[in-house]
Amino acid sequence: MRLWLLIGALLAQGAPPAKVTASVRRIFGPGAEVRTLTVGADTVLRVARGDSLLGFAMVRAVRGKDQPITFLVATDSLDRLRDVDILVYREPYGGEVAYDAWRRQFRGKTATDRLEVGKDIRSISGATISVNSVTLGVRRALADLAAWHRSGAIR
Amino acid sequence: MPRPIAHLGLVLITLCAATAVPLGAQESTTVGGYGEVHYTNPSGRNTPAEVNLRRFIVYLAHTFKDRLAFRSELEVEDAKVEGGSNGGEVALEQAFLDYRLSDRVTLRTGLVLPPVGIVNETHEPPTFNGVDRPAFDHDVIPTTWREIGVGVVGTVPVTEGLSYRLYLVNGLRAESFSAAEGIRGGRQEGREATFANPSLTGRLEWVRPGLRVGGSFWYGGTTAGDTLLGTGTFDAPVALFSADARYERGGLALRAVAVTIGVSDADTINGLYGTAVGSRISGAYAEAAYDVLRLLVRGTSQRLNAFVRHERYDTQADVPAGTTRDRGFARRITTLGLSYKPTWNTVFKGDYEVRRTAAGTGEGETLRLGVGYQF
Repeated sequence: MRLWLLIGALLAQGAPPAKVTASVRRIFGPGAEVRTLTVGADTVLRVARGDSLLGFAMVRAVRGKDQPITFLVATDSLDRLRDVDILVYREPYGGEVAYDAWRRQFRGKTATDRLEVGKDIRSISGATISVNSVTLGVRRALADLAAWHRSGAIR
Repeated sequence: MPRPIAHLGLVLITLCAATAVPLGAQESTTVGGYGEVHYTNPSGRNTPAEVNLRRFIVYLAHTFKDRLAFRSELEVEDAKVEGGSNGGEVALEQAFLDYRLSDRVTLRTGLVLPPVGIVNETHEPPTFNGVDRPAFDHDVIPTTWREIGVGVVGTVPVTEGLSYRLYLVNGLRAESFSAAEGIRGGRQEGREATFANPSLTGRLEWVRPGLRVGGSFWYGGTTAGDTLLGTGTFDAPVALFSADARYERGGLALRAVAVTIGVSDADTINGLYGTAVGSRISGAYAEAAYDVLRLLVRGTSQRLNAFVRHERYDTQADVPAGTTRDRGFARRITTLGLSYKPTWNTVFKGDYEVRRTAAGTGEGETLRLGVGYQF
């Protein structure tokens, strides 16, 4: 039942499940146990190994110029951003937001960081729309995950 | 507490089985646009200022399914088109279908933008400094350059940061080349274009945060079926090579473009059509901008770019034997200005342009003001 909820939620975000699992495995390493938690309309993946919590991950989409950009945000057990993955990019330009060289700027950020283009996040010339959209999406997802974890909505 | 549904490996297997289900974006239509209004005041007597709704573009896109999308830009230039009066244009700037074959490869077909230089593909007013596009991006790279064709767009697997675009499109028409604007008049822009000389155009690009470097080319014949100019597919070829770079760090933004265009058979073209197109057209520009607002207001997300740009190009860098070179086409243009951007997609601009030529003809200074937007 819960698995179908998970698949349903992911499909709604336009994320191929194989990509989500590959992303979670890349970020948290092999052998991690995943279970799904529901907070409002969001499905959060809780990632653990044995008794120790590794962190959380969530799939969301933001609009680029005209297409959704589907991305995954993963945090560690202390609510620091572990990594961002661009799961599906559909726009004709701006696909450079999927490059590790750009995404790695987000690692270690917390909900108290600004996460603002031109400030603590460098832009990519010629990819302004995607850079702004993804940065805003990551900022909101990180804030939500941290707030939910603090409040006990996810644990 | 909910029990773990599975180890990740099992989730992977289970979820993979579900990928047969149609995924992703639903059928939807998006409307957007951009536009710009200009005030242009050339210096000197008897040259009154002019205001013009330079461009108004409606961007219309439709997603048919997750991998298949249509995108278009319909443009009105100079606000109005009226029979019997000059100026004004209604045109499609882009109209193409994208089929996303995989994460790395997209097939594209329709009216596409040759990926040459910076402004041809990225031409929304908030994306460049100066009220008007650089003159270089009019006289040398014939912006907005669009032709009909098919192509492939993607990223290079071996190393992160490399991407390419490669299109097969209709060719240029040598008949409309000119001394002042080079190959510009030869564009066919999707209007009953002859396919007598298919052309290849493409670009390789390398991107890091803050940096984008690209190299582009165009190669193709220009006979447009005129047997006096040639009968071969690649007769009277135009060969264009360009390089460009954009760099941003903090409040600093630098960009530069250089192009060389070879017009083989310029002598035949000039003899046949009574023009004086150069056998080589070349030039470059460099621009530096700094966001001065960040020095005045801490933490602001608005920008006030002060910029200077220097363009240097010659549409008759070389002329064929029999054609007289006019040094008035060797232009040096310096532009100083400000771009105030309350948001990343709106801009208020002002600049002052000083135009000089090697012959001392066609020189002048121009003050421009403008507003631009995109959404």
